[in-house]
Amino acid sequence: MLMFSYLMATGITTGAFYALVALGIVIVYKSTEVVNLAHGELFMVGGMLAYTLYVMSGVPYLPSLLLAVAGSFVVGILTERVAYRSVLKHGLASVLVATIGVSFILKGIARYIWGGKGDYLSFPPLVSPEPLQIGNIMIMSQQLVVLSAAVVVMIGLAIFFRRTRAGKWMQATASNPKAALLCGLRIDRIYMYTFAVGAAVAGAAGVLMAPLTLLYPDVGFVLFIKGLAAAVLGGITSVPGAVVGGLLLGLIEQIAAGYVHSSIQDLVPFLVIMFALTFLPTGLFGLRGLRKI
Amino acid sequence: MSLAALVGNRSFLTLLFGVLLLLPAVANQYTLFVGNLMLIYIILALGLNILVGFAGLLAFANAAIYGIGAYGTALLQVHLGWSFWIAAPVGAVLAMVIGTLLAFPALRLSGIFLALATLAFAQATQWVLWHWQSVTFGAGGFRTPAPNFSWLGVHQDYGIYFATWIVTVLLLMFTWRIMRSRIGRAFVAMRDGEIAAQSLGIDLLAYKAMAFALSSFYAGVAGALYSGLLGYMSPEGFDLFQMIIQKAMIVVGGLGSVVGSVLGASLLVYTMEFLREFKSTQEIVFGVLLVAFMVFQPHGLVVFMKRWLPGWEEPMHVPDQIAAKVPEPGAVLDGTVSGQKASAEQT
Repeated sequence: MLMFSYLMATGITTGAFYALVALGIVIVYKSTEVVNLAHGELFMVGGMLAYTLYVMSGVPYLPSLLLAVAGSFVVGILTERVAYRSVLKHGLASVLVATIGVSFILKGIARYIWGGKGDYLSFPPLVSPEPLQIGNIMIMSQQLVVLSAAVVVMIGLAIFFRRTRAGKWMQATASNPKAALLCGLRIDRIYMYTFAVGAAVAGAAGVLMAPLTLLYPDVGFVLFIKGLAAAVLGGITSVPGAVVGGLLLGLIEQIAAGYVHSSIQDLVPFLVIMFALTFLPTGLFGLRGLRKI
Repeated sequence: MSLAALVGNRSFLTLLFGVLLLLPAVANQYTLFVGNLMLIYIILALGLNILVGFAGLLAFANAAIYGIGAYGTALLQVHLGWSFWIAAPVGAVLAMVIGTLLAFPALRLSGIFLALATLAFAQATQWVLWHWQSVTFGAGGFRTPAPNFSWLGVHQDYGIYFATWIVTVLLLMFTWRIMRSRIGRAFVAMRDGEIAAQSLGIDLLAYKAMAFALSSFYAGVAGALYSGLLGYMSPEGFDLFQMIIQKAMIVVGGLGSVVGSVLGASLLVYTMEFLREFKSTQEIVFGVLLVAFMVFQPHGLVVFMKRWLPGWEEPMHVPDQIAAKVPEPGAVLDGTVSGQKASAEQT
């Protein structure tokens, strides 16, 4: 029972983090119908920027976090410019190939700049590295930081989509680009912001998770696959679905790791993606019949 | 026939393969290795182009299938003591069988979801290569026995080179014929419009399965030859970056063009070998190539060949008006609008 509650606690904290990665993917997919394959690298770039500012240059944590998020926002805009806007006329499949091209460019640049220092950069935890004891479960305090930060980001996004004009523009464009255009929205600019917001969420996730994952140029793709599994499980068009999908994935992973074998943990996301796409194509929360697969 | 018509894809292929045939006479061991690698990548690019360029199925599993062919061949030799000459065909067929199974999700998924599912498959294959240590020897890799050419009386470096040359030429001729046959035309019809193809009596399940089977057979053969060439296997050779290299070859050469695959593969193998020591530069160069071709010339180098060389034929190559067909009701209003959503709601 102790093991079970431990696995649950870890599953929820890692799951919250997968949900953050999935949120970025869902935001971009909802309005552009493209999965940005460079999403994981945007995550990695966010973490690397924070590392450069916070660890190497001694900038305080909060400004580093904000600057890193701003940096990934800009990289997101560049991604949209390079791999989406100019390629869309050749079809969505071409966009997919272009975004994977971008992901390798970012990875190569990161390896060039940050790769030479032993390859695995460790980001000091924000709070004490001692594990906390709650009831009889031990939990890493950084995981609680990640969990609460993930909740803050999710609430922030919900407010952004419900209350701000930019958020409403994005929703309008996602639900009907033609009508949005007729209402006078500059939808090509909104696509750009959509990519940028997705990238900013990825960047924030990267900074928050850096103390737990370590930073290396290939970290992005591993987490992208996990986020993708969470997004697909939740029905790739649904924001609440991404959160539930992330938590579920975290729990499934921990249970597989705890009761089957620890190395199975990394196989779970692939199996979830294959299973969900083949047998549950609208996911748990996706709108039935809307998605053409 | 005018003389100009001789300057075309047939003379290019004859020249290239002629040079490759004579290469062992002048090359040192390293040049020979690069030439051999080039032949293997030509096979890979041909196979991937059948799937992506001709049949229009965007899949990311080719590197994994290549790995299955290579590991299959090597492991049958190591664990069961089979000779290379039996293990190689069995490994290639094993890759083909596993690759064909991928056609079943492909029937239900289209476009980017097929790409994502095959991406997951490729990563799962990587996981098996890394973690099933009792069989695959895990991350460290293992040495594979060299194929035996003593019965022919040639040194093994030359033996594997000529074997690869013969297989490549046979597969190239086979691809050339089959892509101009009923099967190739059916692939192209499927790529240009699934519903239209179906209404012409093309069985989508059969032809999609055939595209996957053909493409993974090529990848399996390439893998088998690669294990014979290298004598050493490790999982890194079959990762996502390998997939990007192969994808870049067919994009640079030309999607839906047999000669384009040869062109792209032969050019990029040199780029790859030239940058072998610099992983980050390799990644940046191949990423930039992919993006640049997608933005500026998504139909590849064969477009220029077609324009400049009078004898260059590309009957199955993506014509411009079809490649730009993205169904966009919104595009009537604005060239940059994605109208996918609107069309989904209408249906």
